[in-house]
Amino acid sequence: MSERREGLSAATDQEIVALARAGHEPAYRELIRRYERPLFSLVFRMVRDRELAEDLAQETFVKALNALDSYRPEFKFSSWIFKIANNAAIDHLRRRELDTLSLDGSPHAETPEAIEATALQIGNRGESPLDAVEAKELGGEIERAIGLLRPEYRSCILLRHVEGRAYEEIAEILNLPLGTVKTYIHRARNELRQALAHLRE
Amino acid sequence: MTRPADFHLSPDDIDALLANDARDHTHAHLTACADCASRYAAEREVVERLALLPLASPAPDFADRVMARVALPDPFALHALGGSRRKLFASRRGLAAAASVVLVLGAAMAASIVWSLGNRETLAAAGTWLGNEAVSWLWLAVRGAASNLMEQPWYDRARGLLGAPARVAAISAAASLAYLGGVLVLRRLMALPRTGVAHAHA
Repeated sequence: MSERREGLSAATDQEIVALARAGHEPAYRELIRRYERPLFSLVFRMVRDRELAEDLAQETFVKALNALDSYRPEFKFSSWIFKIANNAAIDHLRRRELDTLSLDGSPHAETPEAIEATALQIGNRGESPLDAVEAKELGGEIERAIGLLRPEYRSCILLRHVEGRAYEEIAEILNLPLGTVKTYIHRARNELRQALAHLRE
Repeated sequence: MTRPADFHLSPDDIDALLANDARDHTHAHLTACADCASRYAAEREVVERLALLPLASPAPDFADRVMARVALPDPFALHALGGSRRKLFASRRGLAAAASVVLVLGAAMAASIVWSLGNRETLAAAGTWLGNEAVSWLWLAVRGAASNLMEQPWYDRARGLLGAPARVAAISAAASLAYLGGVLVLRRLMALPRTGVAHAHA
């Protein structure tokens, strides 16, 4: 059994996908083992909620592994699965933004504090109290600064400087022009530099 | 291309510096311009902090929860041919090859039907001859196998063993038990993962 696992560990993603397509269960588990941590980390840092990140990462794997037939081996498997994960995270963040969009605050809010807390906050990308709790787990100034970035900037900077992906690959994952990816990364780095400026003084 | 001394480094220049891929004039500018040196140092610090971020882990049963919702393909199912079919029709050459094969097969089938309709007696005679030949070959094979079996050194002992009804019953029972055990082991090995959909918990 361990020999078989060692054999799979040495195989390329494409070889493992071919085995999985033939119905080889250990190949599926090997794909999960390879990508569960990087993929979960990306989604967790995007949505900043552990339970939600697990659900989104789970949905990503289920969607990808049930659609292996549609994966084209000439592309990197990692790019394909990261694309699915990023789309899931961005979709969720957009939905959440729409859900909380209310000029006068939530109709269920009864106290002035609650009304203020649920009112429309244009241009405020700051963290909610819940986000702050999650950020505590994510820990550190840099994690908090990442939480203040726009989701698009967040994806780009995480893929570039945490995952170490090339600009071209990020453009493929996010379905964006290369120039846009570069601009987003430069702006994200600039915003992080400003957010962390107090640490350098 | 050389950059005038009063220009600051562009984000692309900073990128190149961070990737250790900058040209000499960029390094030269960095040593001469305090603003750019400070900006580069700050960005390098950000990048180093990002690179040190640890990977987070999902719950330990994450893989099991995913696998519970994944439908493993049956390699013998017809829909498993879908991938090959897509690959075949992906290029013009594949499409032309597939069309040629279909054309040749169709023409061959049509020709054989036309010929069969015009030569029924010949077909009937050929069928009778083939049937007779098959029966005689089969009989020959059975006789050969039986005589081979009887020439084996263990044949008499095996015959004696099966001679007593009690022995036959004991051997049958042992074989049935072994078969049942095999089926149970196979069922356990091929059991599907549990189907419940679990939700993530911290």
